[in-house]
Amino acid sequence: MTRAIQSIGAIGLSMLAGAVPARAQSVDYQAMEQLFGEPVTTSVTGKPQRAAEAPANIEIITQDDIRRSGATTIPDVLAFVTGVDVRTYGLGAQDVGIRGYNQASNPRIMVLINGRQVYMVDYGRIVWESLPVQLTEIRQIEVVKGPNSALYGFNAAGGVINIITYDPLKEQVNLASLGGGTQDFLTGSAVGTAKIGDTAGLRLSAGGFNAQDFAPGPLNKTDVLTRQSPFDGNFNADGRWQITPRIEAILEGSYGTSRESHPTPATYFDTEQIHQWSLRVGVNADTPIGILSLSAYRNQVGLDAYLINPFTLKPVNGYEQQTVTAVEVSDLLKIGTDHTVRGGLEFRQNADQSSQVGGRLADADYAASLMWDWQITPAVTATNAVRIDHDEVSFSGTPATVAGLTATTFNSAHIDAPSLNSGVVWKATDADTFRFTLARGVQLPTLAQQGLQILPGTSGPVGYFGNPDLLPSITWNAEIDYDRSLPAISSVLRTALFLQRTDDVIASFFAGPLTILRDGVAYRLADNVGYTTAEGFEIGIKGHSGSGWRWNLSYALAETTNHTGLDAGGVILSGQLYAHSVPEHVVVAGIGYTFEKYEADLMARWQSSFLDVRSPPTPGPLVLVSVDNYVTLNARIAYRVIDNVTVALVAQQLNAPSLITTGGAPQERRLIASVTARF
Amino acid sequence: MLTALAAFRPCGGHAASFAVKDLQVLGRAIAFLQSPPGSDAVIAIAYVPGDAASRRDAEDILALIGAGLQAGRVTLRPRLVDINNLSAAGATIVIAAAGAAGPRLSEATRATHALCVTTDTEAVRAGFCTMSITTEPLVKILINHAVAEAAGVEFVTAFRMMIKEM
Repeated sequence: MTRAIQSIGAIGLSMLAGAVPARAQSVDYQAMEQLFGEPVTTSVTGKPQRAAEAPANIEIITQDDIRRSGATTIPDVLAFVTGVDVRTYGLGAQDVGIRGYNQASNPRIMVLINGRQVYMVDYGRIVWESLPVQLTEIRQIEVVKGPNSALYGFNAAGGVINIITYDPLKEQVNLASLGGGTQDFLTGSAVGTAKIGDTAGLRLSAGGFNAQDFAPGPLNKTDVLTRQSPFDGNFNADGRWQITPRIEAILEGSYGTSRESHPTPATYFDTEQIHQWSLRVGVNADTPIGILSLSAYRNQVGLDAYLINPFTLKPVNGYEQQTVTAVEVSDLLKIGTDHTVRGGLEFRQNADQSSQVGGRLADADYAASLMWDWQITPAVTATNAVRIDHDEVSFSGTPATVAGLTATTFNSAHIDAPSLNSGVVWKATDADTFRFTLARGVQLPTLAQQGLQILPGTSGPVGYFGNPDLLPSITWNAEIDYDRSLPAISSVLRTALFLQRTDDVIASFFAGPLTILRDGVAYRLADNVGYTTAEGFEIGIKGHSGSGWRWNLSYALAETTNHTGLDAGGVILSGQLYAHSVPEHVVVAGIGYTFEKYEADLMARWQSSFLDVRSPPTPGPLVLVSVDNYVTLNARIAYRVIDNVTVALVAQQLNAPSLITTGGAPQERRLIASVTARF
Repeated sequence: MLTALAAFRPCGGHAASFAVKDLQVLGRAIAFLQSPPGSDAVIAIAYVPGDAASRRDAEDILALIGAGLQAGRVTLRPRLVDINNLSAAGATIVIAAAGAAGPRLSEATRATHALCVTTDTEAVRAGFCTMSITTEPLVKILINHAVAEAAGVEFVTAFRMMIKEM
């Protein structure tokens, strides 16, 4: 398949090379960033805009930030972003949450690579290590905090993380990197860009890692049985063709395989080996009626799972085939001098075929969206966006009649849900910006929440079932931001105050509040259970000097309350704790210095205590774990040996050989040395 | 580096209406024209004949650009042009030196389908010039849509969304 993609790409490149001169026509991130002197984003409204002018709280992490962090995974980079919570269970096994919500297999954030959504359809989770992108080919990571469902739909109820890679038509990235360190960690990656004429570009990348994660000592019995050494390897191809000066075509493909041990929503560790591939085609055309965009892609995941039945401690093997098929069309049009509108239509199908759902379960989602951006005065802009999702469930297989489920139950299930994003940005002065936003985010039930079928006796005496009649979970978010540039110290101060409420919280089948007896059988059913709230405050300053110094300091408060009844009676059924399940207080600080051939950075994160759950060492209910407050200190020093070769030494968790950071096994200090050559 | 360049002014005790940073922004902005220049962009620096201050400002801008100024993917190639000879100059991008942005320049750029660029925002608001550039403390670009349309000057849609239009 990969060879086929390469061949097709090569033929296409050859045909188009030299036809017309390449030039900016849709969104040229590099040219716009250089022109305006600051990063540009399309993640908030779909239209290109300066991050400071976007009607949402957005943080942009640049390639320089990524490199200087010394991170080996994207969550390691995100861990030092204000308002972002990262749980690390092991090498590459991580969950990312935004503003007060995080849990094992967190479904509340939307992650995209160049606009392609990369969630797993079973739990709406992100398997970070399987993402087919090398850190060195990322131009920027855009983190939108708060719901952004009116643009992206479900899963964007907590926030959006948009990964933007370099444009092979306009940016040349050619490098190879090798690294190794403690935990037998070995990693390598290579990125190459070929430009054919002025009109076509192709970037190829490949990379991966292999490691021996934990010594068996600190693991409990179920973890020892399931946890195996993680690895990852993936390949990505990204081609762009300037067919005419106003039309650009995109062809992307990826393949990867990885193995990681990660807790399920029930917190039991599940070792999965994933084989994934994706193919995306797209066209952008700058026309008299706006920028017309078409994007169609398919993600396919074959998943071999190896988990331990917590009630019998016997291994269970599973196999799933998951697919996402999406077609998106949009038109982005500037009307007159003050109005920009974007209309979009989307079809998306998520499908899961496995014994766990008793056959094939699919969601077909039809969505229409409209965004209107109005420059009311030179200083005031108002943006409103709405989206309607119509979701239909379909099922073919053998329903578990023991839980009252029939094919008709599934096939008649549907959801209609509106999303909303509104914002006013007021640039009071060149230095002062105020932002007022209101959002209604929608989190649709995942396929597992709708249709999982674990019969009684399979995983203990109780059966666990999804619920096709689940309602979507709705998150309302109100926020006031104030940013001030401080040119005297080359810094920007950013503050945010937010209030959030999530209704109809979806409890997983493991946490369903009712144990119902039907025909003498006990089972739990996924259900909508009450509401949660979150409120918080963020303040941070970031700057740099002309002499090579850079610094950042921030504080984030996120307090959540739980009105779901999930923890009633003190019985812990799942990782859905909500209240106190992420640290309320987080301080992030960093300082760095570049001098001639040296680059040195030190980053620290302190977080207060929080509650997590873990699987017990013997069959029984989950155990509540209090994770004490802790500090993580990361350091990186790099030296440019010759013009195009750099060596670097990275220490992660430099301050402690071992830290308890989740309810799982302690995390160990890591030392990594690497060499990078650029061509 | 850019800051240091921006501070550079030609000797003579007066400041040119354009700084190097303004010219850098100009060079990057014209890459977003629907019909952009090639790697070498001929820039006419228009001055008012008989106006010593205007001529001096034009010469100062010329000195800043020198033989050529690299700005992004474009190298600016300057040429001093009497405002009355713009039609003959054949340039599609015109920098308005001090005092040049007025009805005559507006008429000339419209007739030659040229993009008129100034650092004087009021000249754009008055309809004498197409685009103004300010770079301190932030890069700001203002385009008079009616003037651009009359001259047949068109920018790509994404760029129009990034700047202010009137």
